[in-house]
Formats: sequence, C-alpha cells, structure tokens
Amino acid sequence: MRMYDATRTAWKGVMNAKARSFLTMLGIVIGIGSVILLMSIGKSAEKLILNEVQSIGSNLVFVTPGATHGSRFASPASLLGIVIKTLDERDVQALRKEDSVLRATAEVRGQAKVVYENNDATVTYTGNDHEFFTIRDFKFTLGGPLTQNDVSSFNRVAVLGSEIASTLFGDKDPIGKTIRLKDSNFRVVGVLRSEGVGPFGIDQDNLVIVPVTVAQKIMLGINYYNALSIQVKDSYSIDFAKGRIISTLRFNHRITDPNKDDFTVQTQEDALSLLGNITSVLTAFLTAVAGISLVVGGIGIMNIMLVSVVERTREIGLRKAIGARNEDIVLQFLIEAVTLTVIGGIIGIIGGISLAGIAYLILNNVLTTGWFFALPLSGVLVSLVVALLTGLVFGIYPARQAAKKNPIEALRYE
Amino acid sequence: MIEVTGLTKVYKDATIETYALQNVSFRINEGEFVSIMGPSGSGKSTLLHILSFLDRPTRGTYHFLGKDINSLSDAELAEVRNEEMGFIFQSFNLLGRSTVYENVELPLLYSPMPISKRKKAIEEAVSSVGLAEKLHMPAANLSGGQKQRVAIARALVNKPAIIFADEPTGNLDSASGEQVMEILKKLNEAGRTIILVTHETYTAEYGKRLLKLKDGKLESDELITARTMQNYFK
Repeated sequence: MRMYDATRTAWKGVMNAKARSFLTMLGIVIGIGSVILLMSIGKSAEKLILNEVQSIGSNLVFVTPGATHGSRFASPASLLGIVIKTLDERDVQALRKEDSVLRATAEVRGQAKVVYENNDATVTYTGNDHEFFTIRDFKFTLGGPLTQNDVSSFNRVAVLGSEIASTLFGDKDPIGKTIRLKDSNFRVVGVLRSEGVGPFGIDQDNLVIVPVTVAQKIMLGINYYNALSIQVKDSYSIDFAKGRIISTLRFNHRITDPNKDDFTVQTQEDALSLLGNITSVLTAFLTAVAGISLVVGGIGIMNIMLVSVVERTREIGLRKAIGARNEDIVLQFLIEAVTLTVIGGIIGIIGGISLAGIAYLILNNVLTTGWFFALPLSGVLVSLVVALLTGLVFGIYPARQAAKKNPIEALRYE
Repeated sequence: MIEVTGLTKVYKDATIETYALQNVSFRINEGEFVSIMGPSGSGKSTLLHILSFLDRPTRGTYHFLGKDINSLSDAELAEVRNEEMGFIFQSFNLLGRSTVYENVELPLLYSPMPISKRKKAIEEAVSSVGLAEKLHMPAANLSGGQKQRVAIARALVNKPAIIFADEPTGNLDSASGEQVMEILKKLNEAGRTIILVTHETYTAEYGKRLLKLKDGKLESDELITARTMQNYFK
C-alpha cells in the first residue's frame, strides 16, 4: 500500500467519526496545550526577569560584606541580618584606582519611619553618593539626583521612590517639601520613576535615598558600608574586572586564603545564571507534566483505537480478502493513531499559544506589568515530534491486533 | 487454472476432530462457470475459502495457475488474491460511509496499478454494472441490488482471472438477484472464470458445471442440464 493511500484511508477513518476523534485526542490537546502555555509563560517570566536584571544598569559588579558559603548563589552573611563591618572607605578608594573600574560607589542601609504631615510609612533608606544614580541609570519623574555637593556638605536632602512619594504626598508635588526621617528634616529633591525590585531584594519604589555621608555618619553612626556598586569600563570584560576587584579587596583585607574571603562579589551574569538554573528546573517540571499527560492521552487513544478495530472487524476482513497484507493493515491503523495525536498536538499548540496570548493581554492591560508574549518555538517543534511518537507508541498495539485478525472470521463478524 | 487433489480440512477441538472437507479433488479450467451446491455444513464455504486463499488445507494439494499454494507466503497469497481474484459476498461488505467510487477503488489501494490509471479503471468497472450515475453516492444510500452491483464492480476493477461469488443473491429480492446473475453470466461469456457458491437452484443454473458437496465430500461433478437440476431435488 502506498503511503499516499494509507494516509488518505487513515484520514477518512478519523473524519468518519469526528466527535469521537476529537474526544479521543482531547487528552493530547490538553497535555500539549498546557505545556505550550506554561512554556510560553515561563519564557515570558524569564524575559521579564532578564529585562529587570539588565535594567539595573550595565557592566555592574556588586560587593557585599561577608562570605558566601555553600553554593555560589547562597546569600552573603550580611544579607541574613548579620552585621559585618569589613567594607569601608579604604576599599572604595582602592577600587576607584583600579584600571578596569569606571565608577565605584558605596551604600549604607537602614530602616526608619518617614513622615510628611499626617502620612507616614516605615521604609528602607539608603545612603548613596551622586555617582550611584549614574551607575544604576535611575530615571526621574520629578526633580533630579543628589549632587556631589550634597554628599560632601552633608546636605539634608532626599530622593524618593515612586510609591513612597505617592504614599506621602498623594497628588501633591513633593519637590522642595520637607519630610522627617529618623528625627531629621530632609528636603525632597527628586522622585524616581517606578523601578520595581532591585539588587539585594530592595523595593526601589519604596526607597528613600539620602547622601551617604549623612546616613553613615549622622543617622547610623557607623564607619563601614553595607554594599559597594561598581561599574566596569566597557573595554574590560566583566569577569576580568571581577577578578581584579576580588584581588584588590583581598589585598586590602590582608586575605591570602581564598576560602577566608570576608566579602562576596557578584555580577549580573551570576544572577542570570541563577535564572538559568530556575529555568532548567521549570523545564524538567514541564517535561514531567508533559510526559504524564501524554501517557494518559496515549492510553486514551490506544483504548479508542482498540474499540475501533473491533467495530471495523468486517472492514479489516474485507481489506485482507481483496489483497491487503498484514503490513498494510498495520500501516493504516498506525497512521490513523498518528493522525489523531498529531492533529491533537496541533490543536494543543494553537490552544496553548492562544491562551498565552490571552494571558499576555490580561497581564499587560489589566495589571500593567510589562509582560512579554513569548512563543516557545523549540517547544512547538518538540511537541509535534512527541505527539507523533505518542501516536506510534500507543497505535502499534491496536494496529497489530487489527492485522492479526483472521479474514474468514472477520468477514463473518456481526 | 485450478487443480485440487485430496483436499482435506480438519477443524480440531480439544477432543473432537471435525472433517469440513474430505479428500476432494477436481480441476477447473479457465473460462468455466462452476456452481457449488450443498446443504449447510456440507463444506461449501470451507472449499471457497481454501480456493480463494483465505484458508489453507490440512492435507492435499492446490495448484492455482500452475503454482502450488503451499509454497507461497501469506504476503504472496495476498498479492495473488489482489491481482487474480475478485470477491462477491452475500452481505456485500461495502464501506457504507464511502462512495461507490471509493468502494470500487479499494482493491486498487493494494495493487501496483499506477494512481493515474485508477480513475479510468473504476469508471469502466462501475459502468459495466450500470451504475455510472451513482459514482459519487455513498454506498449506504443504495438499494440491495445496487450494492451487490457495486460489489461486482469492485471485484472486477483489477481485471481478475477468476471471480468467487459466495451466495451473491442471498440478500436480494428475485428481480435484483436475476440482474446480478445476468451480469455474472455476461462476465463469464466474456471469458472470465466464475465460481459460485449457492443453495438456490435458480442461481446455480446460471453455471455450466455443478459440484455437489455433502458432509465434506464431493458427491457429484457434472455439467448442468435440465436433468441435473431435477436430480438435485430428488
């Protein structure tokens, strides 16, 4: 039997019982549809996070006090609430002299209540210098950044995150107004555009930024820093610069054994490779879901194909009587099963992409999250191949049952 | 064309051996029209199944067109069935949802005939049974007589050397039955060998030779005359 005839015959077999064929392939449709949907959402989320990470600025290296033990993605001790005082002004000065470093800026953090008239909120405030805004590429909706003069003159000025600005001021213009932060008055000079969550998990929209000198010496009374942000020159590779930064800090801290580092240096690439790990876990999870749903769907197909073989016993007998060989019967039923799974796969792919599109429209228009629409092209191709294989694996048994039928008994079958 | 010698078919149960055919021998030459008759259980169907390769004998030899069928594989038998044999069944065995065209096309799906020549072959076969205007009608919508004519067209489309007809008029009224038998008669006059299994004398009379079976044995083998048929009733 020619492939053309086998395909035509199988197609007719599928179309002769449209409702049943559709119900039969539903398991495959749902299985592949949900995998495509989840893959698309996963890819969108990945892209969203990637954009967030990249929006922090380019060529950045972050230094936090305290070592990271265990995995390189474990939090440094300083982020777990332990006070570590190893990063100080000497480190910043040394790093600024390093060839590969374009800018280096230090940061201190604290928590305090911020008050304007009758409105108040407890916020994280950070002390930063004027270069911090360049490094992090912050954009302003109102006013502007802190100046070098603000830092060196201990000026009581503040830049507000977008959300805290509206919490305190509502619709009023905050620029030039005075807020109280930890019992001191600060004049608001700028309001940031909404930025979301930044490095170290800080909600940048609820942030109050004041000159680092004021925060460190007056508000916190300390002489160490909580973090350093370093921008690397474009002409240097980030990994090279990271190595230079590490050796500078080791030299400064008189550390000879790398296992005794009292600081942690992380780049955006480190964050992105963590993302890669999350993605591969998600992929493994999806593969498991897909596997289970396709086995269930495949068993459904096998079941209905077996019923169909019994129902079409006389047809099988007739085909054998007029010259069909066993292989021809196997081919016919196998292609029928594959047709069911591949059509199911195609419907599932279209359905999954449509649902991902709907999710995109809802998330983007209703929740305004800057969601992406990602088409997992490799997922689509893999789904089609898997659908085809499912048809082959679960179609072979019914097809062989059909071919085994004795033509005499088959022709007598009522 | 057909030569069987000592043909025996035994069905074995756990304890009982049933002889469906016992030591049957005969020859059928090209262009003959042979009617096979006998009461139910006489072995008519078993003989037809063996002659048409759907079953193999327990003992004895069968040569078809000079070839010993015991030497042929199942796939080779299927090939000969497809190219040299046409089948007509009592219950038509058409695919109800398929059109007349698609039903007649069925044997061609398994034949080496090029796809480009199919249409002409199908149209010729359907015209020869007088159903040209029903070509694209679903088989389920036809009358019994028309269905059997479609089955004849299907049996003819591969231009086989021999046609096996198993009670072809069994499900038809007498007028339709007569029409079907007239077609078979014409096919035989055009040179085709026909083997007809029937229990109706009026259809058997269309044949030229009568093989009578009883209890699995060949009781008589004679040319059909008015006297032959009278004897049959005795």
